Amino acid sequence: MSLISDLTERLRALVFRSRVEQELDEEVRAHLEFEVAELRRAGVEPAEARRRALVAFGGLDRWKEEVRDARGLQPVEDLVLDLRHAVRSLRRNPGFAAAVILVLGIGIGAATAAFSAVRTILLSQLPYPHADRLVRIYEKNSPVNLWSLSTVDVQAIRELQRSFDAFGAVQRTEAALSGTGTPERILVGRATAGFFAALSVVPLAGRLLEPGDEAADVPPVVVVSHALAERALGGAGQAVGRSITLDGVSHTVVGILPAAATDLAGVTAEAWPALQLKTPTRRGPFWLRGIGRLREGITLDAATRDLAGVSERIFPLWAAGFRDQKARLTPIPLRVTIVGDTGRGLALFAGAVGLVLLIAIANVATLMLVRASARAPELAVRAALGASRERLTRLLLTESLVLTLLAGVAGLAMGWLSLRLIGRLAPGLPRLAEVGLDTRATAFAVLAAVVSGVLVSLSPISALLAHGGPGHPGTGGARAGTSRQGNRLRAMLVMTEFALALPLLLGTGLLLNSFLRLRRVNPGFDPAGVSTLAIALPEARYPDEPALQRFWRLAELRAGELPGAAAAGLTSAMPPDDPGDINNFDLLDRPVPEGESEPVSPWSAVTPGYFLALGIPLLDGRLFQAGDSGTAPPVVVVSRAWADHYYPDERAIGKQMFAGGCRTCPPSTVIGVVEDVKYLGLAGSAEAIYEPVSQANTRWLNLVVRSAASENELSQGLRNAVAALDPELPLSVVSMPERLRASLASPGRWTALLAGFAAAALALASLGIYGLMSYVVRQRRREIGVRIALGAEPASVTRMVIARGMRHALVGTFLGLGLALLGARWLRALLYQVGPWDPLTLLGVGALLLVTAFVSCWLPGRQAARLRLTEALGSD
Amino acid sequence: MPPDRSDLLQGTLELLVLKALSLEPMHGWGIGHRIGQLSGDVFQVNQGSLYPALMRMLRRGWIRAEWRVSENRRRARYYSLTPEGRRRLARETESWERVSAAVNGVLRSRIAGGTS
Repeated sequence: MSLISDLTERLRALVFRSRVEQELDEEVRAHLEFEVAELRRAGVEPAEARRRALVAFGGLDRWKEEVRDARGLQPVEDLVLDLRHAVRSLRRNPGFAAAVILVLGIGIGAATAAFSAVRTILLSQLPYPHADRLVRIYEKNSPVNLWSLSTVDVQAIRELQRSFDAFGAVQRTEAALSGTGTPERILVGRATAGFFAALSVVPLAGRLLEPGDEAADVPPVVVVSHALAERALGGAGQAVGRSITLDGVSHTVVGILPAAATDLAGVTAEAWPALQLKTPTRRGPFWLRGIGRLREGITLDAATRDLAGVSERIFPLWAAGFRDQKARLTPIPLRVTIVGDTGRGLALFAGAVGLVLLIAIANVATLMLVRASARAPELAVRAALGASRERLTRLLLTESLVLTLLAGVAGLAMGWLSLRLIGRLAPGLPRLAEVGLDTRATAFAVLAAVVSGVLVSLSPISALLAHGGPGHPGTGGARAGTSRQGNRLRAMLVMTEFALALPLLLGTGLLLNSFLRLRRVNPGFDPAGVSTLAIALPEARYPDEPALQRFWRLAELRAGELPGAAAAGLTSAMPPDDPGDINNFDLLDRPVPEGESEPVSPWSAVTPGYFLALGIPLLDGRLFQAGDSGTAPPVVVVSRAWADHYYPDERAIGKQMFAGGCRTCPPSTVIGVVEDVKYLGLAGSAEAIYEPVSQANTRWLNLVVRSAASENELSQGLRNAVAALDPELPLSVVSMPERLRASLASPGRWTALLAGFAAAALALASLGIYGLMSYVVRQRRREIGVRIALGAEPASVTRMVIARGMRHALVGTFLGLGLALLGARWLRALLYQVGPWDPLTLLGVGALLLVTAFVSCWLPGRQAARLRLTEALGSD
Repeated sequence: MPPDRSDLLQGTLELLVLKALSLEPMHGWGIGHRIGQLSGDVFQVNQGSLYPALMRMLRRGWIRAEWRVSENRRRARYYSLTPEGRRRLARETESWERVSAAVNGVLRSRIAGGTS
């Protein structure tokens, strides 16, 4: 009761502050009137009665103060006063406030965005029930060599495992969607029922895949994404029961996924047909992702042992074609496999952001300190009027906090913007759709604001305390902030800014350097005038090898007949970063020892026209000929890098190998060596093996044409030519220069992102030192004025200012070098042909930082040189 | 001014206010006036302590306040006892009586000792 009335009374007093004050006033007035009335009853004159009443009452304000005290509001009201004061004093200095809010807002905003991204992408669980129990299963034969599963693996795990309560497989692929408007190519995940079960997906409508759907003799069914249902099936409400045609086969839609499920377990797809596993004839190929959910209480180690047992049981059954005895089925937490390499990029991003935030804080602290000295007289007056040191400290702290909290609000807005920006700049980040500014991100921004508020107010407060109080107004007090200690503090802050800016600049320099090298990499061919069109022939309409070969022959022929066409060819791999297939091989003259894994290489099916279209020269031997047919002995052409690797001292021509672990198949013979082309990214190796399309029996190829016609003409011509052969194929033409640009886009984006931060850091550091030196000049203007009046060279004055500033910059830069050298090795994996301690880059960024510092010191230095004694003396 | 006007201890003032309000709801000036009357002008309640005391008692929930029109048609803030305040008054009165009886006892015995 009493607690509640206490609180309500305090609350009322606080919330209805002005009303309560009015009531107090009115109560006083009433009291005085009663007193006057009483006195008049006793016969006192009205004026005299009034005077006596007031006298009896005593000091009105002191009285009110005591009543307020009794209300128990003093601390709160002080805070309100401080806040009001802070807001007033900020309004008087809108430029200062804006600068602080902007600088810190950028820092907090970027940090908040980075926090959200890192927390969601790297740290939080995947959005599935029991996400911590989900694993992806790989074949693994060394800590770094992992690959997917084969039909044999998936069937063996299904039958033999004891660790999972749900296990399924998915094949990530594409399919031509037809029968619903223009044919288009969509991403498809062929999945078993266990895949959905492991992820505990709940459908929006209909059902998910069931084990019965996987049989070969049942009508094909498909689960579709919400987006596909909306786009092609008349809305999610009525899509179930309708059918779609995938690669020429009609599938009945049995279920719709929730809108949020754009990808499942890292596989992005719009249609999820049932995966039908045929009876295997060999251990490979390894084309399936296995996803399992661990039984409750089963550890990853236990599951690893369980699966190792499965590996040992199946090895002898298929040992004829697959001799890698060290390969083990290995579970790896799904989160790790999805986030994967992004960790490094994100860590880099978060580190850069953290540095910028720290620099921003140092910068704002400098600003605060300079401002504190400018208002030293004000503080001194306050102290003289009785404000305690504690009270002044609180005042400064409140001011800082008001500023930094405003910056926090600005930061939240900027964080929101930056997340949009990251979405634009770095697509390909997994789980980006999940990232948003949630309550934790908001809490982070507020926390960052409060911490920076305390940090930035530390410097003016310590200056205030170090000086033993603000001193006296008008005399020493005017120099309260000019104490030696204050200057040392400011200098240290500026050094810190330089020390923090250097690692950012170095990182940017290294990435830029390696990016430029990457751009100069010779892709092995001339991309100009080359366009490509990916074609996948559906089994429904091209059931056998003759049908496939007929289509490929005609497509190449028609493309070669296009007006302006110089050459046309077919290829399953596409430079610079699509190896098509990677296959293992065993050289007959140097076989891999028993139980070890065979070497692998990008392995593509091409026609001779492909080498002509891309302009890849033949270096030795011959290209494929009409005689290399499906019935002739298999032949391959290898790249120069491959030949140099495996046969450095002899001709590769005539060497033989077993391909794909098939020992009963006839070996392939090397008949030619061609110039290098990159298939594993521009930074990757150029080893490659080519087989003729005529011996490959493939339904996935790219049509490649070099033409003198314009890109548009060529693209239109290609589409028309292929549509004439089969109108149901989805057609999308990509020019080769476009492909090259796309492969550089990702490193380019990371470089640009880091460059943005480095530029911000450089700007902040140069602002910091400029501010410091301007301040020093203003502070010493009297002395400088006297020197000039006594005949000092203006140039020597400028030199003095610059020398002083550069001392700070140099110390900061050297400290930064130390930091950068410690941190640079984290960058190693992102660099191409540049060491993390590349001396030229180091020198370059060091010089850039110092030149910037020089210019920033020269400006106030020149100002100093123009000082005249009269101004200097008059202005104090 | 009465020469023997006593400074009121805080607790005592609160007791007197509770007592005054137990008779009828009153405004601030009225309370001061009434205490003066009841004590035969021994206690001149200082406004500087009365209003803070009222504020404290409001917070403790012993009294409540409402705006009413006074007998001479002036709007004034009237204070009245809450049930909690009544209990408080009873307790405080009892303990005051005990204390004052004890103090009186002490004082008397001292005087007695001094004459013997």
